[in-house]
Amino acid sequence: MTLTELLQLTTGGVVLGAMYGLIAVGYTMVYGIVQLINFAHGEIFMLGAFGALFVYAWVPALHEISLWLALPIMLAAGTVISVVAAVAAERFAYRPLRGAPRLAPLITAIGLAIVLQQLIFLYAPLRELRDDRWETTVGAKQPQLFPQLPGEALQLGGVTVQWADVLTLGFAVVAMLGLAYFVRRTRTGRAMQAAAQDPDIARLMGIDVDKIIVIAFAIGGALAAAAGLAHGLRYGQITFDMGFIAGLKAFTAAVLGGIGNVYGAMLGGIVLGVVESLAAGGLSYVDAVQQFGGGAWKDVWAFVVLILVLLIRPRGLLGERTGDRA
Amino acid sequence: MTVLDARGVTMRFGGLTAVKGVDLSVAEGEIVGLIGPNGAGKTTFFNCLTGLYTPTAGEVRYRGSRLPARPHEVTRAGVARTFQNIRLFPNMTVLENVLVGRHVRMREGLFSAIGRSPRYRRAEREAREAARELLDFAGIGGQASSLARNLSYGDQRRLEIARAMASGPGLLLLDEPTAGMNARETRQARDLVLAIRGRGVAVVVIEHDMRFIFGVCDRVAVLTQGEKLVEGAPAEVRADERVIAAYLGTPAGDGPGGAARGEGD
Amino acid sequence: MSGAGARRAIVPAPAAGRGTVARALVTAGAAVSAGSTFLPWTWTASFPGDLTVAGYPGGNQVITLVVALVMLAYCGAAYGLPGLRALAPRGATPALRALALALAVSTGYVLAAIAITLGGLVNWVPGSWVAAVAVLLTLLAALALPDDRRDAPPPAPGPRWRETLVVFAVLLGGLVLADYGLATEHTEQFIGYVLALGFAVRGLGVSGLPAVISALIARNRVATSVAALCAGLAFAVIQTSGAYTSLAANVLIFGAVALGLNIVVGLSGLLDLGYVAFLGVGAYAGALVSGSTFSRFTGTPLPFWAAVLIGIAVAVLAGVVIGAPTLRVRGDYLAIVTLGFGEIFRIVVNNLDGVSGPQLTNGPNGIPNIPDLVIFGYDFGEEHTVLGVTFGRFTNYYLLLVLVIAVMVFVFARVGDSRIGRAWVAIREDEVAAQAMGVNTFRLKLLAFALGAAMAGLAGTVQAHVTTTVTPDQYQFLSTAPPNSAFLLAAVVLGGMGTITGPLLGGALLFVIPEKLEFFEDKQLLLFGLTLILMMRLRPEGIVPNRRRQLEFHEEEIAGREGRAVAGVGA
Repeated sequence: MTLTELLQLTTGGVVLGAMYGLIAVGYTMVYGIVQLINFAHGEIFMLGAFGALFVYAWVPALHEISLWLALPIMLAAGTVISVVAAVAAERFAYRPLRGAPRLAPLITAIGLAIVLQQLIFLYAPLRELRDDRWETTVGAKQPQLFPQLPGEALQLGGVTVQWADVLTLGFAVVAMLGLAYFVRRTRTGRAMQAAAQDPDIARLMGIDVDKIIVIAFAIGGALAAAAGLAHGLRYGQITFDMGFIAGLKAFTAAVLGGIGNVYGAMLGGIVLGVVESLAAGGLSYVDAVQQFGGGAWKDVWAFVVLILVLLIRPRGLLGERTGDRA
Repeated sequence: MTVLDARGVTMRFGGLTAVKGVDLSVAEGEIVGLIGPNGAGKTTFFNCLTGLYTPTAGEVRYRGSRLPARPHEVTRAGVARTFQNIRLFPNMTVLENVLVGRHVRMREGLFSAIGRSPRYRRAEREAREAARELLDFAGIGGQASSLARNLSYGDQRRLEIARAMASGPGLLLLDEPTAGMNARETRQARDLVLAIRGRGVAVVVIEHDMRFIFGVCDRVAVLTQGEKLVEGAPAEVRADERVIAAYLGTPAGDGPGGAARGEGD
Repeated sequence: MSGAGARRAIVPAPAAGRGTVARALVTAGAAVSAGSTFLPWTWTASFPGDLTVAGYPGGNQVITLVVALVMLAYCGAAYGLPGLRALAPRGATPALRALALALAVSTGYVLAAIAITLGGLVNWVPGSWVAAVAVLLTLLAALALPDDRRDAPPPAPGPRWRETLVVFAVLLGGLVLADYGLATEHTEQFIGYVLALGFAVRGLGVSGLPAVISALIARNRVATSVAALCAGLAFAVIQTSGAYTSLAANVLIFGAVALGLNIVVGLSGLLDLGYVAFLGVGAYAGALVSGSTFSRFTGTPLPFWAAVLIGIAVAVLAGVVIGAPTLRVRGDYLAIVTLGFGEIFRIVVNNLDGVSGPQLTNGPNGIPNIPDLVIFGYDFGEEHTVLGVTFGRFTNYYLLLVLVIAVMVFVFARVGDSRIGRAWVAIREDEVAAQAMGVNTFRLKLLAFALGAAMAGLAGTVQAHVTTTVTPDQYQFLSTAPPNSAFLLAAVVLGGMGTITGPLLGGALLFVIPEKLEFFEDKQLLLFGLTLILMMRLRPEGIVPNRRRQLEFHEEEIAGREGRAVAGVGA
């Protein structure tokens, strides 16, 4: 393997990891405050991608302009649908179960994930370009083509970087800067940290914990929508069930970075993405294990990483930030 | 003979030192009180003794040998405890709660549970008899088949003590056994603690109720800000000016007996 | 619904003698409804179930007849007839109201279906009108009944022989009901059955009968076990259709795995979202040593006992490998690790095909041609006739599975009520307190995980032979057909965590309902997801609540009637 190939694999891994990281922030924030694995968060990511696609398909004006100019509108649409879904899930499915036995919200989350997937599968209002004509279909039963960014890929010292990759990294950087500002400088951000430490004390201190929880769901939803748009642009197609594996990976990233820690989520995402990319790409260069390289096994390596982290460093790379309610 | 010998127990959380070099020894059949203002590190000290926390420094010996690190091993070794904020198994019956306490004194594993040999049946029967006896001892024998969560507050405290006693301890650590009790229940709790000593079990008790502490304890240790301030016979501690100061936060102005203000907390 | 909690009659009627009139009307209405099933309900045989025959009931009429007969029995209870009074320890009125509703809804449903599918009320014949009027009258009269709810003292135990007889009767009755539901031939019949059963069970629940029965069962554990086993075996005799015995065999596999999962989830409170992978591990292990020509290890098949041991051993090994790193850390992580494991199992098996990995499992094609079991010379693939009863291939496997489940129930019940089982529940309730009581929580959680895996592995080795082919896609987190991890979890949660009957019942429902209601088609999963959400809101303790569990979820509601319902519903 040449150095260029190694760099190429690493770059791909970082981009993939940035996407995992964007989703992982939602898991980690929510878990930090309410100790709930929001299994439906992968579906929130999927909804973000579909939201962006809906607006592109149904607003003809967007086809006339460069996709770059349409992006903000697509992102906004994806964000709206993701945030609404995330907040509604919190309000109507999780909140009534607060204080219920531990399994009740987890099972609700699974049910919710299935419902969201099936709603898109059965009823998504789609328009597709077939033979130069836009045709309407209902239900995303096949993979849906996603519009592609125009322009040649960048060449940086032999390493090819797609524009979609640049955009993904851009989302990640902006999101992390924004989060850092939010957590450190704003009242709400500090209140959120307090609520994560100990919700009961925070409540006594006059913090509206319910509001904080809603905000955590909303921020998670917005970042997941950005990840969804990035996913669509990178892979060129989206499916109703793409949230399942992505959610699993993102949760792994959150654990890897230290649950409850937003910076950890992004770091964990990037580490996971790079490991996955190097394992998949790198192993195929080694004769003895050549068969275990390749795309088919990359999910397996991600899982092995999760198990190793739990064995070696169960509190994650950057440490947990969550109230101890053992 | 010394039952418990804790030396220089220190517990740090990041920059905060919750317990600083605390020594405490308990002799056979002794009842030792541990008092101090809220946040003095009493419960943290208990957690260090029972393996819930691993002390940053210091050594804890039980009957001459070092206490193991993990909570279930500590219980097996012979140190049992109750919790400040009652931690029963709420959806198990009262009897089942005590049977879980017997866990370390039974050996029957998966296969003997399936096989149910006469030996298994005998062990199970004996455990049930012992558990019922302990429930009677704690004065809640009539409620063996109710769910733990449906007991009154005082009875829940008693059940927690019975459950801890079921593990056959040589030393029992009680964390605020009379919190939330009325005067009558507190008197019953006092009798129960004395009866436990009567069974040859040494007791360390954290309590804010000074009448209770000075009524049952052979010796009292005072903890403030993670350090042991005074240790001695109840009368000495009661009279100690530093103790009064620690409780009132000001130099003692009203002489001995002022510590009684700590009561009813 | 009777559950409206009204203490007075719902339909007002003149106070004096109201009870007498209403009771007489209900009795008459039920009798006429029963009679109407002997008349034709429509003129054409094109409506499923052939309701055109006079002289005996057919199709959905059987359901109406049975509900009407049960109602008559309850009318007897309302009149205080000796022997029948025991049917309604807490009062006959609530039961009669719910049964009248069951009668009206299930009968009304068929009559409406006749009118709609055949095109209008002209398709009703005099018999239909008689039935319609009779059930409506019964319902109105039942609503006018005065409330006779009362506190029931726990019934005194009767003589042992009588109790044993009652236990057998109850379980065989259950068997007949289950068999009827399983063998319903068309959608209308199945819906009618479900409607009638649903309302009727609710009604009997209010009447206090279940408490009596569960007390009875708790007193007669041995008799109950024997009776349940007999009922299970008797099914093989009364049901000979290959299609239904195949369905029954699959239901049993699913139920067995759900029971294993219940140790992990229900008793120990560990959420395992990849449980179906252990079934897969067992099935692949069984398939590899089965002597299938497509297995890597062809040749003579290993004897069944050896295959079972291998299946269990490999599943336990997988369980320990997954559990050991995970069970030390936060409980919630287990959910995600097991979810990952379930997915990884499928991916690995998919890729061990000799192309993208070493050859072991044939990849996506799976291992087909798994030969039938032969135990002590008894070939499961052949038909056998014993005492004039023919056992087909699926019946053979069905019988084997009944034994497998019997073993599992035995293990579950004994371990659940032992030092180990108590420690599991203690961990579920409060892990820190359990530790402080000397429970080695890590070891016991691992033990629960391993025992659960062993049960799934055992079921898997049998499953490989029943389905004759194992493929990776049979073992997913979620798919439209059971078994998959989400459905298994649902079987446990919807059925009732920590109970024995819960997962078996939940498993049967989850398997049979999609099989019978084809019109759900692609909406099945959507409905499944909604059911999960709604159940967690409305009835989180499941269909068969463990008494402990029920208390945990409905603290306030229960507090009031705690005194009464002391009967142990742990069965």
